[in-house]
Amino acid sequence: MNSNKANRMSIFLITCCAVLMAGILLGLVGYILYQGFSHISLRFLTSDASAFLAGGGIKNQLWNSFYILFITMLFTVPLGIAGGIYMAEYAKPNKLTGFMRSCLEVLSSLPSIIVGMFGMLVFVNFFHWEYSILSGALALTVFNLPVIVRVCEDALRSVPQDQRLSGLALGLTKWHTIKKVLLPAAFPGILTGLILSAGRVFGESAALLFTAGLSTPNLDFTNWNPLAPNSPLNVFRSAETLSVHIWAVNADSIIPDAKQVAYGAAAVLVLCILLFNVSARCLGRLVERKMTGK
Amino acid sequence: MLTQLKENIVYPEPKKQNIIIEVNELNVYYKNNHAVKNVSLPIRERSITALIGPSGCGKSTFLRTINRMNDLIPGAKCQGEIMYDGINLLDKKIDVVALRKEIGMVFQKPNPFPKSIYENIAMPLKFAGIRGKKRLNDIVEESLYQAALLDEVKDRLSQSALSLSGGQQQRLCIARALALKPKVLLLDEPTSALDPVSSAKIEDLLLSLKKQVSLAVVTHNMQQAARIADQTAFFYEGEVVEYNDTSIMFTKPVYKKTEDYINGRFG
Ligand SMILES: Nc1ncnc2c1ncn2[C@@H]1O[C@H](COP(=O)(O)OP(=O)(O)OP(=O)(O)O)[C@@H](O)[C@H]1O
Ligand SMILES: [Mg+2]
Repeated sequence: MNSNKANRMSIFLITCCAVLMAGILLGLVGYILYQGFSHISLRFLTSDASAFLAGGGIKNQLWNSFYILFITMLFTVPLGIAGGIYMAEYAKPNKLTGFMRSCLEVLSSLPSIIVGMFGMLVFVNFFHWEYSILSGALALTVFNLPVIVRVCEDALRSVPQDQRLSGLALGLTKWHTIKKVLLPAAFPGILTGLILSAGRVFGESAALLFTAGLSTPNLDFTNWNPLAPNSPLNVFRSAETLSVHIWAVNADSIIPDAKQVAYGAAAVLVLCILLFNVSARCLGRLVERKMTGK
Repeated sequence: MLTQLKENIVYPEPKKQNIIIEVNELNVYYKNNHAVKNVSLPIRERSITALIGPSGCGKSTFLRTINRMNDLIPGAKCQGEIMYDGINLLDKKIDVVALRKEIGMVFQKPNPFPKSIYENIAMPLKFAGIRGKKRLNDIVEESLYQAALLDEVKDRLSQSALSLSGGQQQRLCIARALALKPKVLLLDEPTSALDPVSSAKIEDLLLSLKKQVSLAVVTHNMQQAARIADQTAFFYEGEVVEYNDTSIMFTKPVYKKTEDYINGRFG
């Protein structure tokens, strides 16, 4: 009787906590969307930000966010997957590996502002890449790489040992087993992890303040030559992203509609990240279903 | 050599088959655990050798040593000789990848890759250097036929192998191993995860396969050993207590231990 009561008590408490958590989360997202949604319009998404007048948009910022995300993923995905393969399949369980794992953990829990400072010292000042998309993407790579290594390692480790053995027993080499058996089996997990980490990168601001900068040159969306200074594709130009823009508008903008612009931009950001999360789930499930035929 | 089609060749069935693998004084250790002790055992050509014995007596270890899967276990060490085709398989210079194509292995739990039925067989073939769609299709079909699975799956080759039943999955794993045209097939409790009907199918399959390959089968099922094996080896605490023709082993075992085990008095 007593243990029954304790059981019901704990279920009740856990449920309360869960409801509270979900409530806070929904409230937050709901508030941002409620405040910002009315400000989102095609014009808002497709016009330039203004310096003094009301009615500025977020076109360049939105583009910059996606472009920096793309460049960051270009660096992190191959490196992270290679690192994950190494950690899961090749690293011997010894002190050195343990040390590397601790380093990765520390790296992934570094405050992003510190990563930004590091990026400024190394990429902006030492390599003279100035405030640029390249500097920003590299800082984000530092920030994101440990996560991807971890995701990839975990996904590979969750593939049953049987699969490794049967690959080898069929006369495959270790590398071929990894390539043709383990990676495809781990693919849904890796994909989900990649997209979720993309959401984190997309919303990052502190690491970009001192690396990608707070301004964007006047972009000419008809000039796709990546070497032109006003081309959207140029990686050596400074680039203010959406979340940096929110910070900047809130902090020291003199436009009269600063509040609305900030809320509007925040709502767009939240929607994008929601989209990343939902698509991560859907894609992961789809691939999984395709693989197992169920 | 791996690609020769063998279906048209009729093999004679001599009374006592040649020895294809001769194990001499094999010792296997896991760190300090002496798992296989001084085992000498022949595996005969085109026949089924059953390995029986209580849990933990070293049957799987013995089997894994033959195709060098034991190399993968950290701390595993072996001494002795496993002669095959005039060479010692324990020689460090052996190309284990090539070896495992000739001496295939099937595991206890069916473990097809999460790919299509076709790819499960074709992928290792492609890695073995077999090219050409027609050729691959032929071998896939032939090995599915040999594994008595073709009729059940021929209309769904592009479906995921994981959509098959457990018994079908196990036959697919056998087909996958057969596709590489191994000389020897090692099976570690291939039916212990399956229902009786699927087990019976696999038993029939093994009996039909011995026309082409030599088989070594670990089993905990005495009736199964009696039904399918030509020779039987009884392992106990890492040693081979008795090895003989199955018919003799199951009717007039020489040792009391063997008799007790076969009659279910321990283990
Ligand atoms: N991977 C391993 N690492 C260390 N020791 C092992 C390993 N595999 C087996 N052993 C040990 O080797 C001995 C023989 O084990 P093995 O798995 O070969 O027995 P088995 O006859 O196949 O048993 P079962 O019928 O339960 O499958 C046991 O003492 C076991 O603890
Ligand atoms: Mg075993």
